[in-house]
Order: sequence, then C-alpha cells, then structure tokens
Amino acid sequence: MSGDEVDLVVVGAGPVGLYAAYYAGFRGMTTAVVDSLPEPGGQVAALYPEKLIHDVAGLPGIRGRELVRNLLQQASAYSPRWLLGQSADEITRLDDGRILLRLTSGTEIVTRSIVLAAGIGTFKPRPLPVGAEFLGRGVDYFVTDLDAYAGHDVLVVGGGDSAVDWALALQPVARSVTLIHRRDRFTAHEASVAELHRSDALVRTPFVVHALSGDRSVRRAILRDTASGELHEIDCSRVVAALGFTADLGPLTRWGLRIVDRHIIVDSTMSTEVPGIYAAGDVTEYPGKVRLISVGFGEAALAVNNAYVAGDPSASLFPGHSTAIA
Amino acid sequence: MPFFVTGACLDVLDKSCIEECPVDCIYEGGRKMYINPRECIDCGACEAVCPVTAIASDLPLTEPNRPWRDDNVAFFESVLPGRDQPLGSPGGASGLGRVEADAPLAAMS
Ligand SMILES: Cc1cc2nc3c(=O)[nH]c(=O)nc-3n(C[C@H](O)[C@H](O)[C@H](O)COP(=O)(O)OP(=O)(O)OC[C@H]3O[C@@H](n4cnc5c(N)ncnc54)[C@H](O)[C@@H]3O)c2cc1C
Repeated sequence: MSGDEVDLVVVGAGPVGLYAAYYAGFRGMTTAVVDSLPEPGGQVAALYPEKLIHDVAGLPGIRGRELVRNLLQQASAYSPRWLLGQSADEITRLDDGRILLRLTSGTEIVTRSIVLAAGIGTFKPRPLPVGAEFLGRGVDYFVTDLDAYAGHDVLVVGGGDSAVDWALALQPVARSVTLIHRRDRFTAHEASVAELHRSDALVRTPFVVHALSGDRSVRRAILRDTASGELHEIDCSRVVAALGFTADLGPLTRWGLRIVDRHIIVDSTMSTEVPGIYAAGDVTEYPGKVRLISVGFGEAALAVNNAYVAGDPSASLFPGHSTAIA
Repeated sequence: MPFFVTGACLDVLDKSCIEECPVDCIYEGGRKMYINPRECIDCGACEAVCPVTAIASDLPLTEPNRPWRDDNVAFFESVLPGRDQPLGSPGGASGLGRVEADAPLAAMS
C-alpha cells in the first residue's frame, strides 16, 4: 500500500489529534490519522470513558466517550483516512522535502507535514501474564465485533470500565460471560458495576488467570482465587483481557526531535525542531505549558494552520471563520 | 506535582500501584515507593488500588502530607546515598529497577 500521498498526517487520535484532523479538513488538506489503538479517543477513551469532564469550553459537563464521539463526528465531515491499530514508526526525508512515513503495519505514506498529537505515547494493552500463546486464537485485548462472540463462553479479565462495559455488552450474544478481577474493588464506573452484579454474568474476585489451555484455539481456563489459593477450571472459548494500558513515546524518540522529560519542545507556531513536523496536545513542552484538553485544542488549530502556510507561503495563516461556510 | 506516596507505604511495598500506572512512573526505593513528579500524568489510577491508602494528591495538599510530598520530590531531585547524581527523570521505573536507597525522611523514619 505504498505511494499514498496526503497533505498532512496526524499522529494520535486522542482528543487533540481528532480536532487537528477536523481543522486540516476545514483548511482543505487531505489528511490521514494514525493511532496505535483500534479505537479513537486517546487517554479519554482508554483511561476514563465514563468520567464527566467539566472544563471543555462550551460543554458544561460531558462524558469522556461522548466528547470522543462528537470529535469523531466533527473530524469525519472531511473524511480523513483512518489508519488505526498501527503506530507511526519511521520517517525518511525525500529529495523534494516531503516526508515518507512508515507505520508498524508496513503502510507507507508520503506527506508534506505531520502533526504529532501523541499525548503520553503509543498506548499498548497490558498483556495477560499467562496464555500469551493464545493471542489472536481466542484471546483478545479489544472487543471490536460483538458478533465474533456469538455462542461462546467468554472470560473477561479486568476491573476497569472496558472490562465491565464489554462484559455487559457481550451478554446478549455470548453463551455465558464470566468476569474475573484480581481485586474485590472495581475501578469501573459504579453504576456499570452495579449493573454487572444484577446481570447474568458470573463475577468472581479476587481471581486471576492461572493458566489457559486448548488446541488451535483456547478451550479452558484455570482460575486462581488469590484469597484461598484454590484453583477453578472453567470452559471458555474466548478471553477478553482488559487489564488497562501502558504508554511510551517509543518510536518518536528516534525522529531527531528535541524531547525533554517525555515531551516534545515546540515554538509558538507548534513547530518542532524537525522541518514539517508540528506537535500539539499533551506531548508538547514550552514555557507555561498546561496539559489540558482545552489547551490542546488551541494548539491543534495553531499547528494545522501553521503547517498549512508552510506548504503554501502565499496562503493566509488565518483560516477564515467557520461560520462563513455554507 | 500531582500524586505522591506517603509514609503509610513504609515497609509495606505492596506494589499494586505499579500494576495500574499507565506511564510506569512509580519507582521502588529501599523502604517505600515514590512517584516521579515529572512523569506522573495525574490520572489517579494508583490511588484507587493502594491497600494502605498511601497515595495522596497535592490538590489540596494537607499539612501532615507536606513533608512526604517534599520527600517524594527529593527522591528524584536530590543525590541519594550511594549515587553521584540525582535520578531525575529516568523515563520508566521498570528499566531502572529497584533503587536501594530512600529519600531523607523515609530513611530516618
Ligand atoms: C483520569 C484522567 C482525567 C482527566 N481529566 C481531564 C479533565 O477533566 N479535563 C482536561 O482538560 N483534561 C483531563 N485529562 C487530561 C486529558 O485527558 C489530556 O490532556 C488529553 O487526553 C490530551 O489529549 P492528546 O490528544 O494530546 O493525547 P492523548 O489523549 O494521550 O492521545 C494520544 C494518542 O496518540 C497515540 N499515539 C502516540 N504515539 C503514537 C504513534 N507513534 N503512532 C500512533 N499513535 C500514537 C496514542 O495511542 C493515543 O491514542 C485527564 C486525564 C486523565 C488520565
């Protein structure tokens, strides 16, 4: 899939990257959005989808997942190319000054500019300590298609919002749902935990996965009650490991950017020290920086507009008012 | 400076917090854990799981907690016994491993 060209690549589909994608579309740039996770939303979706956010301008109180949904709708108006579930890995400068960006999937894109809305770095699911050999053979980190669980005995592992939400969503389709968590206390939203306890799901705590077994695909799980040490064997043909995420800047540390304490130094145009590469959101650093969604939104607009005039010096930095659009 | 570890962690070192931290910024000292103030993203995931309620926030900072907040900072910014420079921001606790030393207040507690 090489030879693809866009005006701008946004690295990161967190709130700031999504807004940058909208802004690039508004300026008429062809845009691709890359994220290591299969779902957009960055920290908001991965760490606190159910929390109420009170300090985004114009939205007196909005749940994380709803803010993400709105941002996605706004960005989608200009149909950017979504390249999710893959990370921005390497850059090569071409003779004409453009950048060849290679993703971990092998996909290559040629672009004039990049906005790094990389937040705290590439999110990776925390691995299940046992049964790694069944990854993709019954064991998954994300539920992307509920139908794939139809008729299965599903084991969900974890105590956060993702684990509880997925356990609830899977019940109507799965043959059975068991949820285990290594602690008695859940970190998921209280109302969802209450709903889980009222549901038909079997909930067991403090339990961990001791071993998985099967043939080509997972068939059985041995669970350990960490309080008593007792082992319990159950049938399960699908495992969803929702143990949270870890993040680090990973590949971006090799791009020649100036990085201090895991943040990328930018100037007042949101330019990094590498020509054509801008940054916005939690990942940036400059005197007076505050890491908030509202600040990141402003930086996204700055980065995209400055990238736009860098590509066409005769153009105006000011984008015009969105109200002027029919 | 968002979250920090108080003296309630001394000689407990349960480490449930490490399993929750998305940015690997909770470091193990000789007798307690320490949160790196420059690496912490203020998510609070660790606070919710500590079995001895040793994790506190400076929003707001209470007087009894102030020395522990400062000690937590000192772990990274001062030169610990047996070292010739501050830990600073190592960029991940798992890469560094256990540090066989404590900040002054923890060491003399
Ligand atoms: C518990 C919690 C509560 C919060 N509450 C608030 C609040 O009330 N108000 C507020 O304003 N802020 C709040 N914040 C902070 C807010 O979530 C962040 O400021 C915001 O998410 C930053 O957005 P971002 O798009 O810059 O980065 P992120 O949300 O971190 O998104 C970055 C994205 O980039 C991706 N990425 C990184 N590197 C690569 C790569 N090389 N290739 C592909 N993808 C990559 C990551 O996978 C990630 O999805 C809170 C944060 C937490 C953790």
